Amino acid sequence: MDTKILIIGLGNTILSDDGAGIYVAREIRKRCGTTPHIAIVEASLGGIGLLDLMAGYQKVVIVDSIKTKDGSPGDIFRINVEDLGDPSYPTGPHFLDVRTAVELGSKFGYTMPETIDIYAVEISDNTTFSETLTPGVEKAIPELADLIIEDCGLKQPE
Amino acid sequence: MGKKITINPVTRLEGHGKIDIFLNDNGDVEDAYFQVTELRGFERFCIGRPAEEMPRIVPNICGVCPTPHNMASTKALDYIYGVAPTPTAKLVRRLQYNANFIEDHYIHFFFLAAPDFVVGPDANPAERNILGVINKVGLDIGKKVIDIRKRTRDIIKLIASKPAHPEGGLPGGVPRGITEEERREIRKTADMSVDFALFAMQLFKDAVLKNKAYLDLILSDAYNLKTYYMGLVDDDKRMNFYEGRLRIVDPSGNEVANFHPNDYTDYIGEWVEPWTYIRLTHLKKIGWKGLIEGDDTSLYRVGPLARYNVVDGMATPLAQKEYEEMVKTLGKPAHHTLAFHWARLIEALQAAENLQVIANDPLLTSKDIRNMNFQFTGKGIGCVEACRGVLIHHYETDDRGLINKVNLIVATQHNAAPIALSVKKAAQGFIKGGEVKEGMLNMAEMAFRAYDPCLGCATHTLPGKMPLEINIRDRSGAIIQTISRGI
Repeated sequence: MDTKILIIGLGNTILSDDGAGIYVAREIRKRCGTTPHIAIVEASLGGIGLLDLMAGYQKVVIVDSIKTKDGSPGDIFRINVEDLGDPSYPTGPHFLDVRTAVELGSKFGYTMPETIDIYAVEISDNTTFSETLTPGVEKAIPELADLIIEDCGLKQPE
Repeated sequence: MGKKITINPVTRLEGHGKIDIFLNDNGDVEDAYFQVTELRGFERFCIGRPAEEMPRIVPNICGVCPTPHNMASTKALDYIYGVAPTPTAKLVRRLQYNANFIEDHYIHFFFLAAPDFVVGPDANPAERNILGVINKVGLDIGKKVIDIRKRTRDIIKLIASKPAHPEGGLPGGVPRGITEEERREIRKTADMSVDFALFAMQLFKDAVLKNKAYLDLILSDAYNLKTYYMGLVDDDKRMNFYEGRLRIVDPSGNEVANFHPNDYTDYIGEWVEPWTYIRLTHLKKIGWKGLIEGDDTSLYRVGPLARYNVVDGMATPLAQKEYEEMVKTLGKPAHHTLAFHWARLIEALQAAENLQVIANDPLLTSKDIRNMNFQFTGKGIGCVEACRGVLIHHYETDDRGLINKVNLIVATQHNAAPIALSVKKAAQGFIKGGEVKEGMLNMAEMAFRAYDPCLGCATHTLPGKMPLEINIRDRSGAIIQTISRGI
């Protein structure tokens, strides 16, 4: 396997379910470890920070939390970067979307990922300071780790 | 297996800023209210934890001001342990802090202000973003912004391990010192930062100040708000981001208070209103007067424009020259909300010059980086200027040093009521007789963006854009129209 893969767990582990992406990344690391081809990082960043992280990788997997209109806590989603909307005027410089970050990186001549896969867990509470997940979200963490390991063809130790 | 979904525009997200604009019976703007998501339970989360954990926890409560939270918390620890940092430790802290100002101010200017002022407020929204700015100013300038950002973040990383959410922060000192080899690189960053600051200043003058339409916009009544102002000043009443006394000037520019931040509760009141989770700050000695501007208000503003208004001058020569030019153009106090952007660029220049001075200080590389002569007090108030304005951390502990009280006052809290008023004034020009004119959203947002507010921003839920929603309501509260971005 020559492809350089970066798995980014996004979130904030002191804001309850907001840390879901980070817990998934930790679960993948626990099961697969890291190899020269796979890096697993935890981050609490928006788009401009993501640019720094993603530059130089061919494939990036982002794991984050999400709140949808009709979702139930623990629902798992796969999202295309294109579905995140067009690059647009953000309401804050720290909240650039992933697409703008990639486009910006490419303009600057960085090697930006050819593919970005985004996975997300529907969450219940991201506004209470707490270091624990709500039950439905906690249950989804190993399930999403399974899905990403399978999708990315990552090998678990015998 | 996971479902595939489309995020935008059908998905509705929480965690966004919300503005409610109320119209009177004639359909004209009567009031505007600015709301943010409530983050709950921070004090409960902290109680019982060792105080020295706080500088590592607090950067995670805000995705926008992690370094200022880290620094305010560290300074509060100094007081809890009754120690002053050594001269070298203070230099290292100021090095980290000024690097943060450079990084943050330029990201704000080029990503948030320049789309309006360089691309244009009436430009196609699809081009009114950082990509449009780069198309206009050239790729090399864009690369320079990214390079300066990287180099200044490298300084923060060197001292506090992680630039996004610094982990360092010790009472009486810093976690590590600076070597002579590192000094050389820091000096280079400082010199590059000054050059870039002068370039950015010129860009602002050419693109904005020489453009009559933009200058008229800055000077227009729609973006003018008469309030008090508060900011840190040094002993000579010059601008200081890291420490000093809090000075308050009235809407005419007269000093009405000058106090040590430890006495903040004597001067700053917090008021609860049913329409917001934010405890609205105001001048305690005047009392809460509501959302009004002018001589009778008790509202004050913080941040770059406030700092410009409270100081007698800048602390460095090149920034002082630019400050004098701004005074010549706008006078003092300047109540022009869009002038926040101008003041921000002058501050970035001072921060770059500060970096140069620190980088050349012989004491920077001394090994004396920690004062361990603890005189435990159990109470600490740390105050810094965050890029967005005065930030106060107040902790109290039991006799084992475990936290039993926490109070934070953040910049967006100081500015929340003025933001509502600024949006109201900007909207007034675009809503008449119940008719909402084209461009209202961006004109109201320009008022809002000048403050660069943080919106309960510790969450990073997809899609990574902080949405904003404006509801226009009639007198009874019924929604007539909703305008939103990123929802």
